[in-house]
Amino acid sequence: MNNPAVICHKVDKTFQQGELAVHALSGVDLEIASGGFVCLSGPSGSGKTTLLNMIGGLDRPSGGEITVADLRIDRMRMSELAELRLHHIGFVFQAYNLIPVLNARENVEFVMQLQGVAAAKRHALAMDILEEVGLKGMEERRPGELSGGQQQRVAVARAIVSKPALILADEPTANLDSATAEKLMQQMRDLNTHIGTTFVISTHDKLVMSYAKRLIKLHDGKIVDDIAQQ
Amino acid sequence: MTNTTTLLAWRNIWRHPRRTLLTIAAMVFADVLLIFMLGLQLGQYRMMIDNSLAIFTGQMQVQADGYNDEPYMYRTIPAADALAEDIRARTQLEAVATRGYGFALVSSETRTLGAQISGVDPQFEPRVSTLPGLIKQGRYLDGKADNEIVIGSTLARNLRIEPGDELTILGSGRDGSMAATVTPVVGIYESGNRDMDRMMLSMPLDTFRDVFSMGDTAHSIVIGGERERADRIATGAQAALADKDSLVLLDWETLMPGLKQAIQADFTSAWFMYAVLIILVAFGMLNTMLMSVLERTHEFGILLALGVGHGKLGRMIVTESAVLATTGMLIGILIGAVVVGYYLVNGFTYPGMEAMGERFNIPSVLRPEVSLRSLLPGPLAVFLATMLASLYPILHMRKLRPTEALQAV
Amino acid sequence: MKTPTFMLITIAWRNLWRNHRRSLIMLTAIAIGLWGMIWMTALMRGMVDQMIDSAINTLSGHVQIHAEGFLDDPSIERTLPPVRDNPALQSLLDSARVTHWSERIRVPAVIRSERDVLGVTLVGIDPQQESGLSFIADSVTEGEYLAGVDDRHVLVGRKLLERLETKSGRRIVLMSQDPDNNIAERGFRIGGVFDTDLQVTETSYVFAGIETVRAMLKMGDGVSEISLLGPDYRNLDALAADVRAAAGKADTKTWLELDPYMATMLGVMDGVILIWFSIIFVALSFGLVNTLLMAVFERTREIGLLQALGMPPANILIMVLVESLIMLLIGLLAGNLLSWLTILPIQDGIDISGVAAGLEWAGMSSTLLPAVKSSDVLLANAIVLVLGIAASLFPAWRASRKVPVEAITRIWQ
Repeated sequence: MNNPAVICHKVDKTFQQGELAVHALSGVDLEIASGGFVCLSGPSGSGKTTLLNMIGGLDRPSGGEITVADLRIDRMRMSELAELRLHHIGFVFQAYNLIPVLNARENVEFVMQLQGVAAAKRHALAMDILEEVGLKGMEERRPGELSGGQQQRVAVARAIVSKPALILADEPTANLDSATAEKLMQQMRDLNTHIGTTFVISTHDKLVMSYAKRLIKLHDGKIVDDIAQQ
Repeated sequence: MTNTTTLLAWRNIWRHPRRTLLTIAAMVFADVLLIFMLGLQLGQYRMMIDNSLAIFTGQMQVQADGYNDEPYMYRTIPAADALAEDIRARTQLEAVATRGYGFALVSSETRTLGAQISGVDPQFEPRVSTLPGLIKQGRYLDGKADNEIVIGSTLARNLRIEPGDELTILGSGRDGSMAATVTPVVGIYESGNRDMDRMMLSMPLDTFRDVFSMGDTAHSIVIGGERERADRIATGAQAALADKDSLVLLDWETLMPGLKQAIQADFTSAWFMYAVLIILVAFGMLNTMLMSVLERTHEFGILLALGVGHGKLGRMIVTESAVLATTGMLIGILIGAVVVGYYLVNGFTYPGMEAMGERFNIPSVLRPEVSLRSLLPGPLAVFLATMLASLYPILHMRKLRPTEALQAV
Repeated sequence: MKTPTFMLITIAWRNLWRNHRRSLIMLTAIAIGLWGMIWMTALMRGMVDQMIDSAINTLSGHVQIHAEGFLDDPSIERTLPPVRDNPALQSLLDSARVTHWSERIRVPAVIRSERDVLGVTLVGIDPQQESGLSFIADSVTEGEYLAGVDDRHVLVGRKLLERLETKSGRRIVLMSQDPDNNIAERGFRIGGVFDTDLQVTETSYVFAGIETVRAMLKMGDGVSEISLLGPDYRNLDALAADVRAAAGKADTKTWLELDPYMATMLGVMDGVILIWFSIIFVALSFGLVNTLLMAVFERTREIGLLQALGMPPANILIMVLVESLIMLLIGLLAGNLLSWLTILPIQDGIDISGVAAGLEWAGMSSTLLPAVKSSDVLLANAIVLVLGIAASLFPAWRASRKVPVEAITRIWQ
């Protein structure tokens, strides 16, 4: 718990768009402590999604170093990154979070299956966690039969069920009404408090920002503000 | 169909370049294969027919009615030489030859065998038959009335004779009388046709007539010439037969029903193969068009909401299919033509063809036929089948209601 | 073991039915493709089998022994001593390795009725031994089969009978040449008429008792040929070698050596079948690759998600392959079923007498029996399955190689 969950050191990311080089991130230095509940905010194109991608090992930086769970991930191979994500990182996306051909329970069990958790154990864990996020009785529904909020809660349940050290969420409330969004944030905050999971959330949403312990503002690929909140 | 529709269709089918390319590739594959196979088949049939007819049968024959089915000696053509001359004049074709056929016991010094004897006119026979050119030893017959014979190579071997030896011929004449003569062998031919080499010998027609009591009659008048001109030749020959009820003009299909049916049987089984291939390609097209319609459900919803009718949408899909199928067909015909063109110049062969060639009178190197007859049917069939396949997506689309379509993603 | 196979299969199976129309179309195409493969092969094999059957049946047998030179010059002078003079051959022929055998005399002859004269091959047979060896015993449709080696009647083909304008029970004269080069001539009564599929057989052969023929030709106890059947028309090499050794100074040949055309046909047929399989497969593979590519393409987002969740690239590859495998297996199952259902009703043969003369030209009869060989069916299935998986490798590889960010940019927004 002593080492930071995430360290970014002089992270650059350049996209080539035809002739034009777009600097999505330039020289980002960032340390996120274990147990943090961090919000990344900023206008569209400010680089928050790109930064989240880098931390999640979904993309490699053009320069700089990234360390997650004490591992240098910027030089890892694809299969090693897959391994890292599987065991250390949970994801909650804005939409299309769930595998459409699997029902809610199977979606939650999916990561555990990849990790090789025994069937009985993961079944019990999945049922527990779904109850915890308020989806008791909906375990066997496929994503198409769930509302947007319910889908996001399944996504959260899947992200937290294997107790990753780090959960990355990108605009998790973008498609939700405010009451549902508030409930979802409440749950994430609870998990952060009780289990100590580190959360990094990118958002536009004032509501989400209000839940953050630390608010980082990005602009043109640079960190322009870093505020500790209550 | 306006240019905009076609342009729109063209753009739409290239939304998924890989899918479109694969669909076109499947059509092109089938087209090229069909063109190649059909060209090869037609080329092969042509050679089978030409070579089979050229050896002995000719393009058509005049015979006494019934002789072809039951060749009795007494079913003859009266005044045959005059009739042949008349046919030559009417058709302006020199390749008209008179023949008589008989069966006899043929004895050399040591052997006796049964054989088919044909009496031929040495002047005209080389114009209707390639046999005179296939003499391997000695020479062909000389004068119409000379006492000499030429003989098939296998028969010569079995009789243990060589040119210069004499054969005793013993048979029965047209009137049932005894027919007998002793004749020197002047040549031995090798046609490559088993029956002909094993069973046949030829002597000059007038000698044959003497031996077999034929008078001025004959059993057939063989007419050669090019097959392309067959219709005109037949008209001329038919005119010469106008007042002769007992005579008939037989085309090669009647003379060699086996050859025609062998071709038919081969053609039928080949089309079974082609049909399977075409159906598979049509299924590929069906899948592609269905995908392209299903994934645009939302788009169609917008168009329907904007007031574009189902009919117009249907025409759009048909145009897309047509553009796709036409592209495939054109490329297919082009590549197919290049492929058959290449083999037309260089010839095509495969292992085992020599043995088949011997059996069916075809050379061991095939040259495919390049014509509209060989180039078009395959690709057209593929085109029609694929267009037919695109009807299903249209039927599917017609059930679409704007509201539900808009909900689809 | 980190590959949760069951999960992969579950996902693949459910994915397959998300777009059930597309999958059904592909399944149908696979089924029809396999059906076409099996059917066409069955018909082609049927044709060749028939040609072989009729060749073997029309006197050739599996292995034949002749006097040296007889095949080149089938004369009465070239005879073999009878089998009973050769104990080694006798015991081999009577052993279980030979199912039927018989001695024959074969001479070119001329047959004469009151109306016509024609050339034929006169075959002197041992009626008991011959039965089961060649077609003749089972083909007599009028009158009686020969009663013994010295039966004084002859058997004549239906077509020959018509040509000669004579009838069963009437007399004909046979002429041939005896070993001293004299014409041997003798009158016979027609004891029976035989019908065969091939007209040429009906017009070519006249059968008589072997002793009767010997008497007519004033010859000793020599034979022109010994014909025998083994258990199987393939794999005759060992049997032929032993017969050859036992027969001594004679010309021993298998039916394939006697008819090189047939041997080439067999070889060509295998090649043609393989080419046909490949053609069908290529036609299928376009659709298969297309379908899978589409499936992968429209699931880019999902595959990105799976990767983001930590599914190893290899598993994604396997997932797509399993999807293809399931599709192939169901398609093959349906195709085999379809083939079986369509071949079952025509097991007794298809009547194709409309082109009989053409088939006769090629040495076939006018009823076509489809011959389903398990090896062909297996080969067809194997080709579709193995090459089908191979063709799916490209789409599967595409799916697994998607750099997550590409796929996931579609998720983020």
